[in-house]
Amino acid sequence: MSSRAFAYRRAAERRFIYALVILLAAMIMLPFVWLVLMSFKTNDDIFAFPPKLLFVPTLDNYVGLWSSSFRYSFLNSAVVSVTSTLLALLVGVPGAYALSRMSIRQEKPLSLLILASRMAPPIAFTIPYFLAYRWMGLLDTKLGLILIYLTFNISLVVWLMRSFFDACPRSLEEAAWVDGASLWQGFVSIMLPISAPGVAATAILCFLYSWNDFFFALILTRNHAMTAPVAVVNFMNYEGWEWGKIAAGGAMVMLPVLVFSIVVRKFLIQGMTTGAVKG
Amino acid sequence: MPALAVLFAVTLAPTAFLIATSLTPLDLTKPQTIGDFSQPSRNFHLLLEDRRFLNSLWVQAKLSFWTVSLQLLIGLGFALLLNMRSSLLQALRTVFLIPMVLPPIVIAIIWKVIYTPDISPLYWAIQSLGWHMPALITHADWALTAIIIADTWEWFPFTMLMILAALQMMPEEHADAARVDGASPFQMLWFVTLPYLRGVLLVAGLFRLIDSIKAFPLIYILTDGGPGTLTEVTNYYGFVQAFNFGFLGYSSAITVVLVAFTVILSWLILRLVGWGRDVE
Repeated sequence: MSSRAFAYRRAAERRFIYALVILLAAMIMLPFVWLVLMSFKTNDDIFAFPPKLLFVPTLDNYVGLWSSSFRYSFLNSAVVSVTSTLLALLVGVPGAYALSRMSIRQEKPLSLLILASRMAPPIAFTIPYFLAYRWMGLLDTKLGLILIYLTFNISLVVWLMRSFFDACPRSLEEAAWVDGASLWQGFVSIMLPISAPGVAATAILCFLYSWNDFFFALILTRNHAMTAPVAVVNFMNYEGWEWGKIAAGGAMVMLPVLVFSIVVRKFLIQGMTTGAVKG
Repeated sequence: MPALAVLFAVTLAPTAFLIATSLTPLDLTKPQTIGDFSQPSRNFHLLLEDRRFLNSLWVQAKLSFWTVSLQLLIGLGFALLLNMRSSLLQALRTVFLIPMVLPPIVIAIIWKVIYTPDISPLYWAIQSLGWHMPALITHADWALTAIIIADTWEWFPFTMLMILAALQMMPEEHADAARVDGASPFQMLWFVTLPYLRGVLLVAGLFRLIDSIKAFPLIYILTDGGPGTLTEVTNYYGFVQAFNFGFLGYSSAITVVLVAFTVILSWLILRLVGWGRDVE
């Protein structure tokens, strides 16, 4: 085969792959786009047959949703997710640093503990927490939710940040100690600034974890502390099938997630794959 | 160090608590059952004879087998397609990640819409082709398949990402050597690429396997375990026992079984990828 014919074939192959990938991307996106479109449709348009691709968009669903009690659930979600993330960083980052800098004899059990606690089915934590909360009066409170998310986020922070600190050379803070800095000063003024991007990415992963949670919120809250995902599902169960509002609720729940995912795309991929595996 | 103490407290204490409750006949409607350790192994004996529990294990096995295999297969296919140096593909990669990052509850809503004949674009498309399709999620033969499809859509990006990361680290020499020897693309895949990917496929599969044990929002919203108990996985059965029936003791026993599985699988993963620190 001459080199020109070969190059020609390569180009044709490439175009074919492009077309195929674009087609597949469209297929993957379709269900998701449909939901977003639905959130801007009136109820009549949603049930129209055949479905209308061109329609007059309306914000009614969003307005209706926001004037209902969904507003409070949305705020609950925000408060609970942000607080648990901040607390997890506060405890977890110094902890990860300590772990990274000392030699621990029980290395293997610790790794197993962290991984298993992230992997265990949520119900394993829900039953003890449910009983304890019932006894302490923490059921259906924001504090209760914050505490249970904290459990998971601390292990995530330790897991991700430890590998981050492992990668930072020790010579930097040793230099600071030689200059008379304390252990804590070395950590705050040398290590933290270096690892700021890692902390930010970890924070976003923690936030997303709490924000996306459905199971804990379903069981540990009733109405006061109900979070947005549970509120959306309640729309399905109790208020008839108001598809427009359900779609609008879904869209609002996923909005922060999409924004953050795009912002930290690269970290997200690392955090979810290599971070999850390698630690 | 305090962080470690907290970590131990928050993970080990609930587990100990869970094991303790699994030894009692705790029933939410009967407060006196809370510390009753008179027949510690009763729940586990009951489990062995509980047909609904055994059924849930079987449903779980089917769900796990199909979702893990499909996700590995589709993830591999997409990773091979996307593994080219090209800015277009780079940009499209992000699109493929969307299902994985969306809140699980939104995924469940999306698929509820697709599986509800009145408003589904899928049903409309099939009808306009002149075909007929039963309502999948209420149909005995199709409900589990419907869940498998939705779960695969949600999680194939995970396997795709892991495989893609491995592909990009694959040394060029292997491929070059095979090409010089005149290997066809198919032979390349079979003899060079796949053996290289064996490790990552195994790890990705294990991760998905563990996660498949936790499947909840999809089942809760799409089928509620039904029709009957056809899509009731073990995790879901534990939920029903605890929070619909109030049998927390019995449900704890179910959960202990699940946790045991998870710990074993996590241990396997750590064996395979190393224990976190001294590993590349």
